[in-house]
Amino acid sequence: MNAAKTCCCQCSCRLFEFLESSIGKKVMIALAGFLLCGFLITHLAGNMFMFGGANAFNHYAEALESNPFLPLAEIGLAALFLLHIALTIRAKFANMAARPVAYEVYQGKGARTPGSSTMAATGALILAFIVIHVATLKFEVGGSKGPDLFAHVTGWFKNPLYAGFYILAVAGVGLHLSHGVQSAIQTLGVSHPRYTPMFRKLGLLFAVAISVGFASLPIYFGFFHHDMACCAAKGGAQ
Amino acid sequence: MNLTLKVWRQKDAQSDGGFVEYKIADVTNDMSFLEMLDILNEELVAKGSDAISFDHDCREGICGMCALMIDGQAHGKDKAATSCQLHMRRYQDGDTITIEPFRAKAFPVLKDLVVDRSAFDRIQAAGGFVSVATGNAQDANAILIPKQNAEKAMDAASCIGCGACVAACPNASAMLFVAAKVSQYALLPQGRPEREKRVLAMREAMDAEGFGHCTNEYECEASCPKGINVSNIARLNREFLRAAVLAE
Ligand code: HEM
Ligand code: FES
Repeated sequence: MNAAKTCCCQCSCRLFEFLESSIGKKVMIALAGFLLCGFLITHLAGNMFMFGGANAFNHYAEALESNPFLPLAEIGLAALFLLHIALTIRAKFANMAARPVAYEVYQGKGARTPGSSTMAATGALILAFIVIHVATLKFEVGGSKGPDLFAHVTGWFKNPLYAGFYILAVAGVGLHLSHGVQSAIQTLGVSHPRYTPMFRKLGLLFAVAISVGFASLPIYFGFFHHDMACCAAKGGAQ
Repeated sequence: MNLTLKVWRQKDAQSDGGFVEYKIADVTNDMSFLEMLDILNEELVAKGSDAISFDHDCREGICGMCALMIDGQAHGKDKAATSCQLHMRRYQDGDTITIEPFRAKAFPVLKDLVVDRSAFDRIQAAGGFVSVATGNAQDANAILIPKQNAEKAMDAASCIGCGACVAACPNASAMLFVAAKVSQYALLPQGRPEREKRVLAMREAMDAEGFGHCTNEYECEASCPKGINVSNIARLNREFLRAAVLAE
């Protein structure tokens, strides 16, 4: 570092150098990934209100939407996604450039996992899902919400194609996280002979829990749940 | 046994290369992989053709020269072994073996299977050393070093710089090599004074050579002939983060 630089310039140069470095980029991807995991937890917790029935879920949604800070949180969330995606794309291109001539035969020695070797593919799947998810459930593409969000969501889940893609995508999230969580821990420099194997298992467990949790919604409300109207018609007491 | 070899042939760094198929007969179980190549080369030279160029020196797993990608595995199918330690008893009659040079932008092919790994030397020259005047030997207990640190530093120092980590990495990343070279000093008091300067300079040199980003696939560890652990990469990340904040 050049000592003659002014403090402010030196700090920003430092930060820029860090963000441009291979390790710095990975650290930012990992931090964004972790924060996105935090979002997944809160989002899943909120969605679980669906199992409490239409009233519980609609009340939760109302409370969430009436929070004045929601737009701010949404912008922050979008920024996290954009940061994560932009940096992974840059890293991916740099990695492709780092091996211009591919191997005729590449076998490796068994360290890669189904998750690790499909990160870009599962990432692209998640992105496609988010676009459809936000378009249909937030911006009302293909059907307006009306006052009953619960009916809107379960209506979409009754479409087997929609439910099927939802399940596929959250399985993709699970695969992404099966590598992502332990990878991010390593990238942030955390490693210990005793705890690292435990972190790897917890990462896997988290990945499974997230995908099973999210998949439970389209599975139950798409294929098993019968709404009030249909039950009432049948005279059922469900 | 009789084998078919598919070998990458390339005249020089500027020329395009391609695979050439060779048949080799009467290979015995106790030949090493490199001896098998020697015999093929003798046959080629006797026929007046150009011998296949490949790097080697010690032929006992300590110099790190014998960089070969054998059937898509750096140093071949054995774990914790170099190409020169691989023996033909691991193959069967009729096998086809594909032999390629290590592939990375930072390791340009010089001829056939020989690549230029001086990128590693330049990373080392950027900071992989301790600048101290050693003077006379001092009292052995003047600087205390916890045993586990001494062992970890020794493990890291067993890196022979062969480049298998880069070759095996899906991203052609050199993180395991740099991690070993940073760790061997970061763990010892003698390396501490230049701790920040070292990791910043070596990271910069690594990126400047055009190696890829580590995505924690851990193929490097699986392919390392010396079994260097990826916990060293976590240490490198840690050292880099620490230095990025603390360095003056
Ligand atoms: C729910 C949303 C997401 C979460 C929770 C998430 C989480 C993570 C985590 C924790 C990592 C590991 C970071 C590291 O290795 O240091 C990661 C890596 C990655 N993510 Fe995501 N991610 C999400 C969405 C996406 C999307 C939408 C894309 C792309 C369009 C994407 C592409 C990638 C890629 C390419 C990597 C790096 C691959 C690698 O390190 O091998 N991710 N993600
Ligand atoms: S020739 Fe020295 S390690 Fe193989």
